[in-house]
Amino acid sequence: MKHNGPFAVAFLLVFAIFMLAPIVVVIGVAFTPTGFLEFPPSGLSLRWFRAILDNPDFMHAAWVSLKLALVAATVATAFAVPAALAIGRGSFRGREVVQSLLMSPLMIPTVVLGIAFLRFLTVMGLNGTFFGLMLCHTVIVTPFILRLVLASVVGLDKSAERAAISMGASDWTVFRRITLPTILPGVVGGWVLAFITSFDELTVTVFITNPSTTTLPVRLFSYIAQTTDPLVASVSTVAILFTVVLMVVVDRLYGLDRLLIGEGKR
Amino acid sequence: MAFLELDRLTKRFGMITAVDTLSFSVDRGSFVSLLGPSGCGKTTTLQMIAGFEDVTSGRIMLNGRNLSAVPARERGLGIVFQTYALFLHMTVAENVAFGLEMRKIDKPERARRVKAALELVHLSHLADRYPRAMSGGQRQRVALARALVIEPELLLLDEPLSNLDAKLREEMQLELRRIQREAGVTTLLVTHDQSEAMALSDRVVVMEKGRLQQEADPFEVYDRPKTSFVSGFLGKSNSLRAEMGRDGRLRCAERVLTGPAAGLMPGAVEIALRPERIEVVDAASGIVSGCVTEKVFLGNQWLLRVATPLGDMIVLRRNAGRNEAGIGDTVGLTWNPEHLRILPAEGAA
Repeated sequence: MKHNGPFAVAFLLVFAIFMLAPIVVVIGVAFTPTGFLEFPPSGLSLRWFRAILDNPDFMHAAWVSLKLALVAATVATAFAVPAALAIGRGSFRGREVVQSLLMSPLMIPTVVLGIAFLRFLTVMGLNGTFFGLMLCHTVIVTPFILRLVLASVVGLDKSAERAAISMGASDWTVFRRITLPTILPGVVGGWVLAFITSFDELTVTVFITNPSTTTLPVRLFSYIAQTTDPLVASVSTVAILFTVVLMVVVDRLYGLDRLLIGEGKR
Repeated sequence: MAFLELDRLTKRFGMITAVDTLSFSVDRGSFVSLLGPSGCGKTTTLQMIAGFEDVTSGRIMLNGRNLSAVPARERGLGIVFQTYALFLHMTVAENVAFGLEMRKIDKPERARRVKAALELVHLSHLADRYPRAMSGGQRQRVALARALVIEPELLLLDEPLSNLDAKLREEMQLELRRIQREAGVTTLLVTHDQSEAMALSDRVVVMEKGRLQQEADPFEVYDRPKTSFVSGFLGKSNSLRAEMGRDGRLRCAERVLTGPAAGLMPGAVEIALRPERIEVVDAASGIVSGCVTEKVFLGNQWLLRVATPLGDMIVLRRNAGRNEAGIGDTVGLTWNPEHLRILPAEGAA
């Protein structure tokens, strides 16, 4: 194997520090026993984690975020899988248009999206509702799922499906027994990525929440605007931990690098 | 009556006619090859029989029923695909059991038949493996077992051996024939490999550009080709341009050649002569003489290219343990006139 030169090693080191330092600081601050942001912490205390449980606003926001991410990722998956199958294998007119349309939330600046969603939801009378929020998040996370599922659809062997048909399988059986298991790594990977994206989303969500549907990122954002105590750090630490656990589970099941690099075949 | 019968089967894709009024039939229990170069329409024909392509016009009859109205899933055919099309997330046994499951066959009976099918292809010891961890030849056998376990009326093989290396391919050819005979299933093989078609089949159907060229047993297709395409596609052949005179004489490069009666109209014809039917003799005593321009040693044979007044001819000589004429030598070539095949000139048919 080729070894990296000292320059490359130094570069990677600096890069890793740059990426990880903020996380380390946040986690460190979360364990402080004092009432202000302090790093390195002067002692170790779970005081600020207990404070989360005592703060109904944060608990409610976390619950909203969790529900929202679950529903949005699942609904978006239900749309993206058939769409990916059609786009990946079909040769119908307007195939590229459909694909660009579904991918467009990635290309439009999120602030623009936020304003557009705000107007739309107000016109529809859905502003501030959980349903409206769910609709918008579904749109935002769809491209992530579509990308991953498309990558696995491309590796799909059409003749395997034909073989199943020739043996008497119905369309639904073919999908359930042959197609879906083959693209499952892409579907699960896409779902997880969508879940995390929705769970983290701030820029668009800020425009379309009201106090009863405030999500965790929005709650954190507005909390920081008013006060700066270590509560934000402990909440962030829990969110980071949650994301990491999710990633590890997916990695164990399907191999994260394979999913994200987009190799369709297992 | 024929078991499988194609009647003026035609398939058009827009302006292109992929299969053009193709008719042939397959007897019950026989092994028939559909042979032709890539793009000749043989795979499209197979797809139509399988039900994956619509028929533009014509009929496909299987055991007295018209397949046109029957959807692919109800045709009950066993199909082995070029890529094997195994279900990679299922074990070998699960792959083989899939068709039985679809037929709602109960578990004990299913297990019994899966076992029998795997025994037939000599894979019983790998029943719990996943296809990913298997060699090409083994996957091939799984695909065969999976297609045969449902006891299909007709087994369709789409270039099943083309992904195997040469040695394995020869082995699998023998295996395929044994399995087909043991299962007694009527089989249609699609292939571009003429030696495979000849080695395996009871009958060969040669196709080119969507049209039937010849349908006969392998010996006849090789020995009595009907068209210059068939002659050139199956094995090596010398093809000489000639002229059939009004007097019934055959003229090639201003020489009169003796040949078998052809029953062709006077005009341009083509003479086909197999290189292994040509004898090398003294320059003086041959029908033609020429200079050896190329000499290739093939192990069991020598291949000579000889420039003659009739045109370049290739000659195959059995390796009889001695050296042959060398490059630059002048030799005579002779043959039994019975072995000349007079065919309609290319393009005139």
